[in-house]
Amino acid sequence: MTQDSEDAARLHRNIHSHLPSDPALRVKTLESLMVERGLVAPESIDAWVEAYSEEIGPKRGASVVARAWVDPEFRSRLEADASEAIKDLGVDGNATAHLKALFNTPTQHHLVVCTLCSCYPWSILGMSPAWYKSAEYRARSVREPRKVLAEFGTDLPDDIAVTVWDSTAELRYLVIPERPAGTDEWSEDQLAAIVTRNAMIGTERDLVAEAS
Amino acid sequence: MDGIHDLGGKEGFGPIPIDPTDEPFPNEWEGRMWGLAREQAVPGMTIDYFRHGLERMVPKDYLSFPYFGKWCANYYMLYLQTGVFTEEEILTGKTTRDPNAAPVAKTKDDIIAQNRASAVDFSLPIDDAPLHKVGDNVTTRAHMAARHTRLPAYARNATGRIIAHHGAHVMPDRNVEGHHVGEHLYTVEFAARDLFGESAAAKDTVTLDLWESYFV
Repeated sequence: MTQDSEDAARLHRNIHSHLPSDPALRVKTLESLMVERGLVAPESIDAWVEAYSEEIGPKRGASVVARAWVDPEFRSRLEADASEAIKDLGVDGNATAHLKALFNTPTQHHLVVCTLCSCYPWSILGMSPAWYKSAEYRARSVREPRKVLAEFGTDLPDDIAVTVWDSTAELRYLVIPERPAGTDEWSEDQLAAIVTRNAMIGTERDLVAEAS
Repeated sequence: MDGIHDLGGKEGFGPIPIDPTDEPFPNEWEGRMWGLAREQAVPGMTIDYFRHGLERMVPKDYLSFPYFGKWCANYYMLYLQTGVFTEEEILTGKTTRDPNAAPVAKTKDDIIAQNRASAVDFSLPIDDAPLHKVGDNVTTRAHMAARHTRLPAYARNATGRIIAHHGAHVMPDRNVEGHHVGEHLYTVEFAARDLFGESAAAKDTVTLDLWESYFV
């Protein structure tokens, strides 16, 4: 394709000047054009929405975390090569070809961001939340992660180090939170049910052991 | 380019807009845009040029548009640039040209299979040996001339330590210029204080995934 950066900027200025700014209208027009031209069937768009509303979501990542908690052999493989290990659970796919699992410890907390765009491991966490894609999160999480965490209700004492992972290449990151105390007898499914999406991004830390 | 997209470490932003309702697609059009993007038909599209297209948006739109609003503007740009649609078609919302063959109507199961098959391996082995190894200190460049780069402004002219080497991956700065080449990629850990000064906590670190030519 034409890789002309200045032309791209010129076209963007034209779009800015000539199209209504309402995104709902813009998207509707784009879909109409693609359908009229025979580039996509509307049913396929419905199917993407359904897939990412129902099956492809954070419960996939939660199943990876729960497996890592109960199966030491899986945990080692996840640590060595997360992209390969998650294939056991059939949750690999979009944006997980270079996946790294980050294990929280009593003295180490991990937080994931993409400051330059909004890279996210879709196939295991589903659609990213709006806040993850916000300018506020992208700007602040590298400079003042502890203040950002506090806004999520996660107050970290000074003796816990924070590492912020800025997703600048095609590596994607999955935080493995610590298994809460009092869950020794729990099944893998019970464990998966308490793993939150935010804990796998790193904006939450302590999971609550309340059986569902 | 030092564009508006390079937000890391910028000051002046308020609280994180945490939405307690937390649906995958809070507005219907956002789900439609997600699907349209996954079914995109931009000839020769690369992830790097897609990102660069977003970087070339009108800056005030970049900051004010919702995420999928940015994607929509960018797909209009990409379809215009590749001649898939004309400005007149986009303005009127009508195309007078004949459709292609009728596209397949995919089911949810088709999409789940397609999603699983869409993990893209970005590694691109090269003959050149890596210049650095795990444990080495490296210093990033102070200035980037590239149109598109993945070295954010906040991590320039800074010294960190390599904690992982990933082999060679497709190099984004060159890929947007049409050169599909590999370059050694490393994860580099920086002390937060080396990037942001004394306001950062002494124990905290920031890691970035950086290509070899980002180092001096």
